[in-house]
Amino acid sequence: MNKMLPTVGIIANPVSARDIRRIVAHAGNLQVTDRANIVLRLLAGLGAVGIRQVLMMPENAGIRHHVTRDLKRSVNMGERRFPDVDYLDMAVTASTDDSVRAARMMREARVSAIIVLGGDGTHRAVVSACGDVPIAGVSSGTNNAFPKFKEPTIVGLAVGLTAMGAVPPEVAFQSNKMLEVDISGRKEIALVDVAIVAERFVGARALWHTENFKELYVSFAETEVIGMSVVAGILDPVDRKTPEGRRVVFDNSNPPRHLLQAPIAPGVIADIGIDYWEVLLPDVAFPIAEKEGSIALDGERELSFSKNDQPTVTLRTNAFRTIDVAACMKSGAKTRLLRIN
Amino acid sequence: MSKNPFPLSKDDLLIAYRMMKTIREFEERLHVDFGRGEIPGFVHLYAGEEASAVGIMMHLNDQDQIASNHRGHGHCIAKGVDVKEMMAEIYGKVSGSCRGKGGSMHIADLSKGMMGANGILGAGSPLACGAGLAAQKLGHNGIGMSFTGDGASNQGTFLESLNLAAVWNLPVIFVVENNGYAESTSVDWAVAVDSYVDRAAGFGLPGVTVDGTEFFAVYEAAGELIKRAREGGGPSLLECKMIRFFGHFEGDAQTYKAEGENEYNRKHHDCLKIFRAHVTKAGVLSDEELDAIDTQVLALIDAAVEEAISAPLPTADDLTTDVYVSY
Repeated sequence: MNKMLPTVGIIANPVSARDIRRIVAHAGNLQVTDRANIVLRLLAGLGAVGIRQVLMMPENAGIRHHVTRDLKRSVNMGERRFPDVDYLDMAVTASTDDSVRAARMMREARVSAIIVLGGDGTHRAVVSACGDVPIAGVSSGTNNAFPKFKEPTIVGLAVGLTAMGAVPPEVAFQSNKMLEVDISGRKEIALVDVAIVAERFVGARALWHTENFKELYVSFAETEVIGMSVVAGILDPVDRKTPEGRRVVFDNSNPPRHLLQAPIAPGVIADIGIDYWEVLLPDVAFPIAEKEGSIALDGERELSFSKNDQPTVTLRTNAFRTIDVAACMKSGAKTRLLRIN
Repeated sequence: MSKNPFPLSKDDLLIAYRMMKTIREFEERLHVDFGRGEIPGFVHLYAGEEASAVGIMMHLNDQDQIASNHRGHGHCIAKGVDVKEMMAEIYGKVSGSCRGKGGSMHIADLSKGMMGANGILGAGSPLACGAGLAAQKLGHNGIGMSFTGDGASNQGTFLESLNLAAVWNLPVIFVVENNGYAESTSVDWAVAVDSYVDRAAGFGLPGVTVDGTEFFAVYEAAGELIKRAREGGGPSLLECKMIRFFGHFEGDAQTYKAEGENEYNRKHHDCLKIFRAHVTKAGVLSDEELDAIDTQVLALIDAAVEEAISAPLPTADDLTTDVYVSY
């Protein structure tokens, strides 16, 4: 691989959007062929602005197969529309771990940016290992509070312009908040929300038994998203820039102090009882009040804890970088980057 | 003892563990006895996959009917078929579930809703549709369920069944037990789009993928799918990603597996060890309680083998009995 040219990484993990929310909610199912088409649209955008090298996470579910078929056809036609695509040399486990390892290897390979296909869970996996490499998301998971929906062709163009150095960094990059969970020395992160639930087993991971909701910590709270963070968004919104988060304590008594309707999963608008909510300040380790239960990170139960663990949640600012697709495109237009003459 | 944080009572947790352990020891014993040349015919062992059968079957009753496959011992045990009768059946003895005429791949017990293991790959799915149709027409709350592997899920019968179940909105669950190998062919080489959730979506069914080595993941997901089917929500698909500890059949040299793959999986992905770790860490069950079950299960398997060996073989006169069934 020529190290002089910028390389962009793409992580499209086929295991995202396959969980129980297809039954307990009405979540969609983005098929492998759709994911392959998203990758091809990204590649078309990247190639159009001069990116010649892309590094992808390998998988065995069929995305690579479908992408390769179209790339070969393009070469057969004598086109040079798409960049060359290389795959990381890593074993495929067909789990979220693949996203984490791929992000780490892409960082080590010094890619200019990583494009992530998935929802909050996949983005969390990538951010846990990508370090200071900026990411751009293509919203294609179940809960997509973090990645905004953008047409992949445009994401490809914007990331390509950024990687080629055509957009000033202060325009291209945004810094983001995240939540850090410390459980007996083990560190985990969440990009959007940390929910504490009574179930003390991970099981099918998703959250849908509202009677078990105990506490919620969010890094930002919008009103137009699906997932746990919308609860805080409805009560007291906070944007992605303001250096504070929210903590919400649920109330499962009948009647609760406050009662609201919240779209916690696709097609599921649940009655949620609230005791109180408060501001979460950055860099302060907040001890979780519950003594035992499970911790859900960005909508999925990940780990259980007992009274010996004393987990804490800390809001961090400037935690990782994302590429501002809209700003990149606007800048590109202003500086005539996309003009041929 | 701590408060039980699991979605099953302590008694049900003990039942689930006993069932999984019974399947494991049943298969481990067959592995040894088959190697000694004591078992007629072929056996395909389910060891490593127990959390799937038990996590699902804990939600079923005798009215629910399942159609199993060639790797059916686990499904039979979890559905409540008598273990001693199963062992006798595999030994080809008259005291077997099917009087020794079926063997490993044809164990059935209709009284338990076990329509049969099945030596024909993919043949169980249409049977499950039939069971679902019967439940729908008779107006009872039962469901039909089929178990196919990743290989058999490429069969036309399976795909036609997905379509039929969707068209008639049958209360049927298609369980795809994806252990990564169709006999010796990796799923990566044999399935164009190897997400079975995608495949279900192609026929208009919702599908879910779970880690089949995690009992609680299977239990929770299966519970929701089965509830949906009973409530008139129609068919769905559950893909359990799992690991088979032995070969496709006993005698399979498993040259298609990586060196040390079985040992690694037994160490890190053993569903029984994972279950034990969860329930003991939570303080709901103790190692002593589980060890006691282990001892009882081993005694049961020993007794099943002894009784199977000492039972008589069918005679020539038995050849023409039980050939036809009157309805």
